[in-house]
Amino acid sequence: MFGILFTNQIQVMYPEIFLGLVAFGMLLLGRSVKNPRVYTAITMASLFIALFLLLTFDSGNETLFGGSYLINNFGLYFAVIMIISSLYVTFSAGATLKSNPESFFSIFLLVNVSMMVAAFSNNLIYIFIAFEGVSIGTYIMSAYGKTRRNLEASAKYFFTGIIATGFILFGSSFYYLSTGTFNLLSVNVSRGPMLVALIMLFVGFGFKLALVPLQQWAVDAYDGTANPVSAFLSTGTKVLAFLIILRVFIEGFRNFSTDVFYLFVIVSIITMTYGNMAALSENNVKRMLAYSSIAQAGYLILVVAATSASTTSAFVFTVAMFTAMYYSLVYIFMKGGAFLSVSAVRKDNVEIDDMAGIGTISPAFAISFSILMLSLAGIPPTAGFFAKYYLFLALIGSNLWWLAVIGILNSAISVFYYLKIIVVMFRKDVDGKDFNTSRAVIAPLVLAAALSLILSLFIFAYPQISAMATGLGVSI
Amino acid sequence: MFILYIFILLLVMALVSFIAKKKAYAIATVESIIILILTILYAFVRFYGYTGGMVSTFSYPIDTSIGFSFSVGITPISMVLLFLTVAIMSMAIFVSGRESYDRRFYGLMMTTEAGLFGLLISRNFLFFYVFWEAVIIPVFMLIAIFGGEKKESASLKFFVYTQIGSVFLLLSILTLFSFYSNSYHHGFTLNMGKLLSPAFISGYITPGQPFWTDFILFGFFIAFLVKMPSFPLHSWLPDAYTAAPYPVTIVLSGAISLMGGYGFYAVIFPIASLVGSTVAWIIIGLGIISLIYFAMVAMFQENMKKMMAYASAASMGFISISLGVGILSTGYNTYTSISGGIFQILAHGLIMGLVFSSLYIIKLNTGSESNLTVRGLFREMPVVSAFFLGGLMASLGLPGLAGFISEASIVLASYETLGLLIFLVIFGMIITASYHVWAAQKALNGPYNEFLGKVKDGSRGEIAALSLLFILILLLGIYPSLFYHMIFVYIKGGI
Repeated sequence: MFGILFTNQIQVMYPEIFLGLVAFGMLLLGRSVKNPRVYTAITMASLFIALFLLLTFDSGNETLFGGSYLINNFGLYFAVIMIISSLYVTFSAGATLKSNPESFFSIFLLVNVSMMVAAFSNNLIYIFIAFEGVSIGTYIMSAYGKTRRNLEASAKYFFTGIIATGFILFGSSFYYLSTGTFNLLSVNVSRGPMLVALIMLFVGFGFKLALVPLQQWAVDAYDGTANPVSAFLSTGTKVLAFLIILRVFIEGFRNFSTDVFYLFVIVSIITMTYGNMAALSENNVKRMLAYSSIAQAGYLILVVAATSASTTSAFVFTVAMFTAMYYSLVYIFMKGGAFLSVSAVRKDNVEIDDMAGIGTISPAFAISFSILMLSLAGIPPTAGFFAKYYLFLALIGSNLWWLAVIGILNSAISVFYYLKIIVVMFRKDVDGKDFNTSRAVIAPLVLAAALSLILSLFIFAYPQISAMATGLGVSI
Repeated sequence: MFILYIFILLLVMALVSFIAKKKAYAIATVESIIILILTILYAFVRFYGYTGGMVSTFSYPIDTSIGFSFSVGITPISMVLLFLTVAIMSMAIFVSGRESYDRRFYGLMMTTEAGLFGLLISRNFLFFYVFWEAVIIPVFMLIAIFGGEKKESASLKFFVYTQIGSVFLLLSILTLFSFYSNSYHHGFTLNMGKLLSPAFISGYITPGQPFWTDFILFGFFIAFLVKMPSFPLHSWLPDAYTAAPYPVTIVLSGAISLMGGYGFYAVIFPIASLVGSTVAWIIIGLGIISLIYFAMVAMFQENMKKMMAYASAASMGFISISLGVGILSTGYNTYTSISGGIFQILAHGLIMGLVFSSLYIIKLNTGSESNLTVRGLFREMPVVSAFFLGGLMASLGLPGLAGFISEASIVLASYETLGLLIFLVIFGMIITASYHVWAAQKALNGPYNEFLGKVKDGSRGEIAALSLLFILILLLGIYPSLFYHMIFVYIKGGI
């Protein structure tokens, strides 16, 4: 009777099943235990176990449900880094979540289940369902807390998110109209419905990645939510949205790559430029980081532009996919660490000037934060530099020099606001400021900074990582 | 290998400087002097009786699938500039002793030195770029943390300018890389020797790739011109030079401008076949404009630090002229012009080191660096004033001092190419001379400004350091072959 549990189909779902069970168990436990530390520990432990299960059972190549669910290294890589990002957020979340920790963490785990499902899905309906699982979970997470700000942020996020959901469904149905299936590897023929589907799906998924002009919610949501939640929103869910965009637009629209190319080029240029320009004039640290993550999303989707250009080659495709995978990994720590570190200032609306003097109080904080900023700005020898290096290599390789110039000028402009923070931090006026330099704040930041340096060694793993890209099911 | 050991030692020393809690100054001074001695030793061993080519080549492959390897190689160009770097850095660190800077300052100074050292020894473009950036960050921090008035805007301006330059540098490198592998089909490499080799450049890129030629050159030129700094990419210069503390100003004028010059001779000169005559003339034009324009601006500065900042940029104009002339002419004119340019970087760095260090001591003792208050200083500070005068004279190109050799060889070599335009260069030199003399006249001679009160002369250590530097400048002026010869041999042998 239990034999079914050990069949291949179920075995590959072990991580998801396990995390789901833990999530519900946690809710039950919540009736008696209220200590947030317990839930942090349980979450950490179960995420570790899920990671282990993922690596054990999902490391092969497997095709399930008629090609809708593909187990391969490409999906595995993203699933693993999304779990890592959740681990990283959990690592620092415990201290800031006081009331009802069990509901927060159980929703958090359910979001992780959906993320893993989404990582392996290769069918628009599967993707839609998993994506909704993540969205609904994050709506609740962003409302976590008691202030009006949290509620307002969540409400904005929710209402715009719902509209995006509608677009995804609408786009998926047009996709079906053209191909007769939801599978992304299908052969599609008629151009009209596909173009509608392209636009609709782009609006839907671009919303989650906060691409301009769909970015409005992001700044308010990141600004209004608790720091760990904004860290998670800007890392885990961003990576997921990016993965889905890679899947849908490189794989699902591979016969319409010219249309994809123009769409992504235009949007990425607008996104990068808008994000950087808005961040330049922003004084609030969290809003500045939010704008900077919009700009980063602009760089990320340049990968799609590079792979769908008509001048692309096999080499460019490999480099671009490596960029996508490497950038996602690096991005988690750069951005997550930056958002978490805002907790160091005991204040609601942290202005850049409020960071002044922290360099004298806690050099560890200031140095780590500086490293993160340099990494975001793409300055060697940080990992952020190598991510951008491969990105521009891919662009130059496919003769898109003008796009590379625009991107690189943007990254030069962005240096300005990243460094502004560094300069302010090392200023010497400390008086009247209340910094929280406890270990709970510093430790995740130092970890992120160290990883931003160590991950630059991942360029050694170029052959291994880029080999995983074949799992995307497209080759040039 | 020996040079690599020095570099590793330098890295360790930079770390030590950051960690050491006490006596940061003493430690940094000793460290920089050890590096100086080791570098001189290396130069003596490897370049005594030099006959051409690149020495101390070493390569450690990291990721061959994408062409990363850590390659090292020393040419006379990098040797000369290495010597300049370590000399200037020890000077800058040594003179900073009177102000109580903490370990962060010295750690950042040593990091700057390590970055420059790494830049000059690496022969792989990736590491070239990484070190190129690794120099900017500590200098930026030095200005931002320890600078004077307007330090924040000045440091940001400095960084954004140089960063825009270096991202274009990156694009040019990537373009070369991409052409080498995609079209030239010789595998993936970032080795500078291979990417700049004539077989690749003139065989593949020059014919039929007009757009990419311009693209590559544009990136390189922007990056190097910003660093020099040359007109019209200089507007970070007055802010950064004046906001930076004096030791950092020494580094900026001696060592940061060196990077631009090094790029010119080590990267652009080997691919001179890409540079058409139009581009070469533009570079010459920028050099002449820099020379004259900066000299004019310097003339009207009351703040001597700012004045010398412009003077420094003006004399870097010679580098552009020398490169342009070197590309346009042939034979001995090319050799002389390029060697003169490289020698000019060295001379300029040492001279600016002397000028800014003595000005620093004047500033510390009198509390002012303005030409309006500092007057008739010979009465109170005869020795330091004499060295300041010496520095100014060397900077205006007085025969017998180092600056003359380089300027003379560039002017001599460029006469045939420039023709009557040479008068513009001469005109620039005359303006330069006039405001140098003028500044010396006002600050050092004439009646003493009694409002300054009783002023001490420099301490014994300071005077010793200044005299060492001055003797070096004098030595290079009298016996330039010390460095000039090996540069000339190398250039003549073909890069």
